[in-house]
Amino acid sequence: MSGAVVDNGRPSRGTDAGHAAVELRGVVKEFPLSRRREPLRALDGVDLTIAHGEFVALLGPSGCGKSTVLRMIAGLEAPTAGSVEVAGGAPAALIERHRLGVAFQDAALLPWATAWDNVALPFRLAGRPVPEERVRALLETVGLEGFARARPKQLSGGMRQRISIARAMALEPDVLLLDEPFGALDAVTRRRLNLELGAVWARLRTTTVLVTHDVAEAVQLADRVVVMTGRPGALAHVEPVSAPRPRGEDFTRGHAFHEVVDRLVALLDDPSDGRR
Amino acid sequence: MNEARFLNRFLQVAWPSALLVGGWAVWVRANGYTDLVAPMPQSVAADVLTHPGAYLGPVLTTTWTALAGLVAGMLLGGLLAVAVWSSRLLTAVLTPAAVLMRSVPVVAIVPVMIGLFGTGRPAVVAITVVVTFFPAFSLVASGLRAPSASTRDVFTVLGASKPATLTRLLIPYAVPNALVAVRIAAPSTILSAMLAEFLIGKSGLGFMFVDSVSYSHYARAWGTGVVATALAVASFVAATRLERRTLERVS
Ligand SMILES: Nc1ncnc2c1ncn2[C@@H]1O[C@H](COP(=O)(O)OP(=O)(O)OP(=O)(O)O)[C@@H](O)[C@H]1O
Ligand SMILES: [Mg+2]
Repeated sequence: MSGAVVDNGRPSRGTDAGHAAVELRGVVKEFPLSRRREPLRALDGVDLTIAHGEFVALLGPSGCGKSTVLRMIAGLEAPTAGSVEVAGGAPAALIERHRLGVAFQDAALLPWATAWDNVALPFRLAGRPVPEERVRALLETVGLEGFARARPKQLSGGMRQRISIARAMALEPDVLLLDEPFGALDAVTRRRLNLELGAVWARLRTTTVLVTHDVAEAVQLADRVVVMTGRPGALAHVEPVSAPRPRGEDFTRGHAFHEVVDRLVALLDDPSDGRR
Repeated sequence: MNEARFLNRFLQVAWPSALLVGGWAVWVRANGYTDLVAPMPQSVAADVLTHPGAYLGPVLTTTWTALAGLVAGMLLGGLLAVAVWSSRLLTAVLTPAAVLMRSVPVVAIVPVMIGLFGTGRPAVVAITVVVTFFPAFSLVASGLRAPSASTRDVFTVLGASKPATLTRLLIPYAVPNALVAVRIAAPSTILSAMLAEFLIGKSGLGFMFVDSVSYSHYARAWGTGVVATALAVASFVAATRLERRTLERVS
């Protein structure tokens, strides 16, 4: 299988040479709690550079600031100090050009719209005609071609997440942001969706940031696993995963996979060991 | 199965009606009222049933007035809610004005409406609008805040413009609330239309009441009250149906 070929119809690597896909420099984020108390420091000096076409997983205990990092890349939060650049500019510039894709733990679908209309939404929001072929292809990619006319409440949680991810990929975004997209699913469904996402990603190679609690999920999908520590949030360790793609079940059953997973689990148990 | 449902429906309607009519008859008898003070239910029923033609015109007039007021009030309330959503300044200006508008008794609004619209039907419709717009305003305003934070975030990240967010996310989410507003407002719109007709109108059930009283035709005066009550109940039932039908389709 020619998994390594970039076939999203758009040169994703090389054209934007000179700057990274995502660049966080000295990012500090504080949340005001109340007028009198000290603000909460959620992130304390995060530096992270993500290359074009790279898949980075953010791993860490609950409350360590993973979602905050992702929301800043998505332009939903502004850093208190430091800078966040996406494709060489502010996230807002990319949003304006409809070049970001996002999926959250809850599918956040429109309940009155069919699966088809939910996937077509990004085109409508971008003021573009809806390419029917492409919407059909997206539904096919996530295995829901037979459910185009179904509404979210008629679908299972896993199916809803598939739609949510298809919607995130609809406009072939420059950067795909996934915040625990499978976090609410059962282990079996989650494993299957991870394998499918890995296979799709091996074809598309969209720059992706995945936030997750699940070590196996991170190692299976990512080129680099970034482990964070909490209070205040900071990067503790970066683990490159160089296994070739697509990574099937032979990879997740293999020795190397489990060795990395075990090491990262140990690191999460006692993150001070991993601090650089 | 179907029979049981029919029986259930029948009891729902029959039970309150029987209570109302029975209570009315007992009240009139117990106090020994003459027809001048309060006629018996049967004489009112006789008037309604033997002169349906006399009631039909006023019923249609009041229904149309109320419907116009309901539609205009829903539109006005919805527009105000969107205006409040769109700007902090408008929130500060409009919200107290709307609350004030709703808190002034209808009777006190009448002279203002006569000043603005004269004494014809436009003034009557305007008075019903005053009654209708407030539930629409407050319920639609809260409906616009109904979408989950993550759905709003998705719209933001996808680069949705403010108008697109409004039409594709917020307004559809406000539809169920708007339907609740219709259900709440429908009966009171009928009754306020009648009140307005009573005060300033030249047609409709309210005017028919005034007219009947002035000719000492008390059974007919009470008949307009009975018919208006039935109309208000019917409007509530219709609004409930509309709500259920629409919700089945949109959620
Ligand atoms: N809008 C906010 N206002 C105040 N505090 C916030 C806000 N968002 C996040 N925080 C705080 O910032 C810290 C990091 O939150 P964040 O959601 O990024 O954690 P997380 O790593 O994604 O956790 P989880 O794995 O549970 O989702 C937490 O202590 C949280 O309470
Ligand atoms: Mg989170």
